[in-house]
Amino acid sequence: MNSLSTYLIISALLFSLGLLGILQRRNLIGMLISVELLLNAANLNFMAYNRFLVSDPVTGQVITLFVMGLAAAEAAIGLSIILALYRKMHSINIEAAQKMKG
Amino acid sequence: MGALFRDPVLLATVLGTNIPFFSMAVILIFTRSNPRLSSRISVGSIVVSAVSAISLLVKLFSAPALQYQTLWFCSGKLNIAFGYYLDPLSLLMLTIVGIVACLVQIYSLGYMAGDPGYSRYYAFQSLFAWAMMNMVIAGSMLQLFIFWEMVGLASYFLIGFYYEKWSASQAGKKAFVMNRVGDVGFFLGLILLLIGFGNLGIPELNHAAVTHGLPKGLVTLSALLIFCGVIGKSAQFPLLTWLPDAMEGPTPVSALLHSATMVAAGVYMFSRIFPFFSASPEAMQVALAIGTVTMLLSSTMAMVTYDLKQVWAYSTVSQLGYMVMALSAGGYFAGVFHLTTHAGFKALLFLCSGIFIHEFHTNDMRIIGKKGGRRLKIPMVCMTIGALALSGVPPFSGFFSKEAILTVLAAQPSKIWYAAGLFGAVLTAYYSFRLIFHILFPKDGIEEQHHHAEHGPDAHEHEEEHHGFAFRAMAIPVMFLAGVSVVLGFTEHGLEHFLMRLVPRAGEVSAHARSAAAVHGAVNATAAAAAHAQEPSGSLLMVLGISAGLLGITLAWFEYGRKGASRKGFLSHFPAVWKLFDLRWFLDILYRKGLDTFVYAGLTSLFVKNDRRIIDGGIDGICVFTEGSGRVFSFLQSGMLQFNLVLMVLVAGAAVLYFVI
Repeated sequence: MNSLSTYLIISALLFSLGLLGILQRRNLIGMLISVELLLNAANLNFMAYNRFLVSDPVTGQVITLFVMGLAAAEAAIGLSIILALYRKMHSINIEAAQKMKG
Repeated sequence: MGALFRDPVLLATVLGTNIPFFSMAVILIFTRSNPRLSSRISVGSIVVSAVSAISLLVKLFSAPALQYQTLWFCSGKLNIAFGYYLDPLSLLMLTIVGIVACLVQIYSLGYMAGDPGYSRYYAFQSLFAWAMMNMVIAGSMLQLFIFWEMVGLASYFLIGFYYEKWSASQAGKKAFVMNRVGDVGFFLGLILLLIGFGNLGIPELNHAAVTHGLPKGLVTLSALLIFCGVIGKSAQFPLLTWLPDAMEGPTPVSALLHSATMVAAGVYMFSRIFPFFSASPEAMQVALAIGTVTMLLSSTMAMVTYDLKQVWAYSTVSQLGYMVMALSAGGYFAGVFHLTTHAGFKALLFLCSGIFIHEFHTNDMRIIGKKGGRRLKIPMVCMTIGALALSGVPPFSGFFSKEAILTVLAAQPSKIWYAAGLFGAVLTAYYSFRLIFHILFPKDGIEEQHHHAEHGPDAHEHEEEHHGFAFRAMAIPVMFLAGVSVVLGFTEHGLEHFLMRLVPRAGEVSAHARSAAAVHGAVNATAAAAAHAQEPSGSLLMVLGISAGLLGITLAWFEYGRKGASRKGFLSHFPAVWKLFDLRWFLDILYRKGLDTFVYAGLTSLFVKNDRRIIDGGIDGICVFTEGSGRVFSFLQSGMLQFNLVLMVLVAGAAVLYFVI
């Protein structure tokens, strides 16, 4: 079972879970977590392809590290936006944010 | 630089004319907060200027005309030189400007004492002196024009000196705008000359005009256009109303700028390129008519006003009219000589009026008379001397110059100009002595001044102390000018010799013009030549001239001077005429109407429409379009984040399917 397709399937599952979460959850924090899932699915893909197909193992790991840094930054910004929204709307439900429509 | 110090004449010229500029800069930058120091810097520099002007006059008294010039810029075939031209005319004018400016600045030490804008006043006075002196010795018409505009700028600053006063700032603007109207013509004339002749040097221009090196039409057209500049600056007929309004400035400013020197700049420019003007008899004829109309109109205006300064302002306009008449009738010397004497006695009259205004805080001659104006003996005597000179009574300076002008006018083929000149002389004497008698013999006697009655003898001492330095600073220039007005007339022959010695060309012109059968008589005939030609009637002319002056004075005596006189003036029997004169022949009202109908209702409203409809409308249109399209696109933004995400995923999925299959 230790083959590329295993990892790809896990990664696809992870991605689907994230997509489901982001489309279905009304809680903004939940959506943020789902975004992390999406990113991690992508990370897993990078690592898997790197491991099985590329001779130089460094490239995929570097990209993965970048994505992790990006995810951290995104979490910080996302959380602060959520905090600001909460101060304004007293709720972190995504439907409350519909009021901001122009 | 070396040449500057090796040549004392050049050194004196550069130093004398430019030191006021440095004093202005120093005052404005460093010493504004220290009025005493500022006034000392300014007076010191103007004294240097005056001394160098006088020494130049003495040194070059019998030297040929000197010209210093250096190339300023060249473009293609066009060379513009920058330099100085020192000939008798510019030396004479330089001396006049230097001396009068110096006296006025000394006078201002008293007159302006304690004014909050004291430093600023001296800075602007210095600016004026610099610009005027540089204009006088300019070597080319372009340079003259540049400093001509600087003089206008200084005039604007000084008229609007009391800028917090609405009427003063309005008067400054009016003077500036009216001058610009004339200057547009002047500048067009210069451009025309540059295109047609290619050189704006004053000696070159005059030489070409004398030797008929210029096409006839070009000369006439450009002379007429350049004369527009004279009309503006010297307040001639269509543009004369700015000068009386300019009296809103401080009185010493009126004395220096708006009577003695600046307004004479127009006449100076006329005489500067006199041979050029006289190459076009048509232009000279137009100038003669304009000068005459100006002279008569402004004399009538002076007959009805009660404002001390206004009377002298109108009389300045009319005397400038005399000068233009003299020059355009071919009397080069007569015009310049009248300019010289007028600078002396008109500055004197204004400075005397300034003392009265300073003392009584009013411009109204009736109130000054009532409050005891005649007790101020020095200004009263000096003002009478000035008025006598203005009226052309011998032996004062005005008599000689006016006689020279009338002689020139009498030599004209048409006697109407001479008659107008004579009539103007009657009016001049009438209005000047109307003013003098108003102050000398007030209607109901002099009111006792209260503090005199109360304090008795020591009131006088108190007053002395009150005046002190200020009064002396004002009285000394006045007395000096009065002395000048007495003796200046007797220098006529010396001055004539001095001015005419370098103008043999003018003689040639007059020969030409005569042989060319004289479209306008004795073009360029000097006053002396005219006098010689008219030898038999010379004494008759003199008698007529004197009697015109005396007639005016007698008329004024009957109406304002003698005991039991009505003190109303014969014009009060004709209210319509009085009103006509008082409202300046409706000139201002006409300008207002013209401005309202043609400029504001016509041109300006077109511009306003363009601004509002096209420019504003265009920008508004862009805004409306942007906003509208924003509204259309905002329908796509429902605000439902997850719905959007679903769409995005579906589209991405569809794209993947499309590319994969």
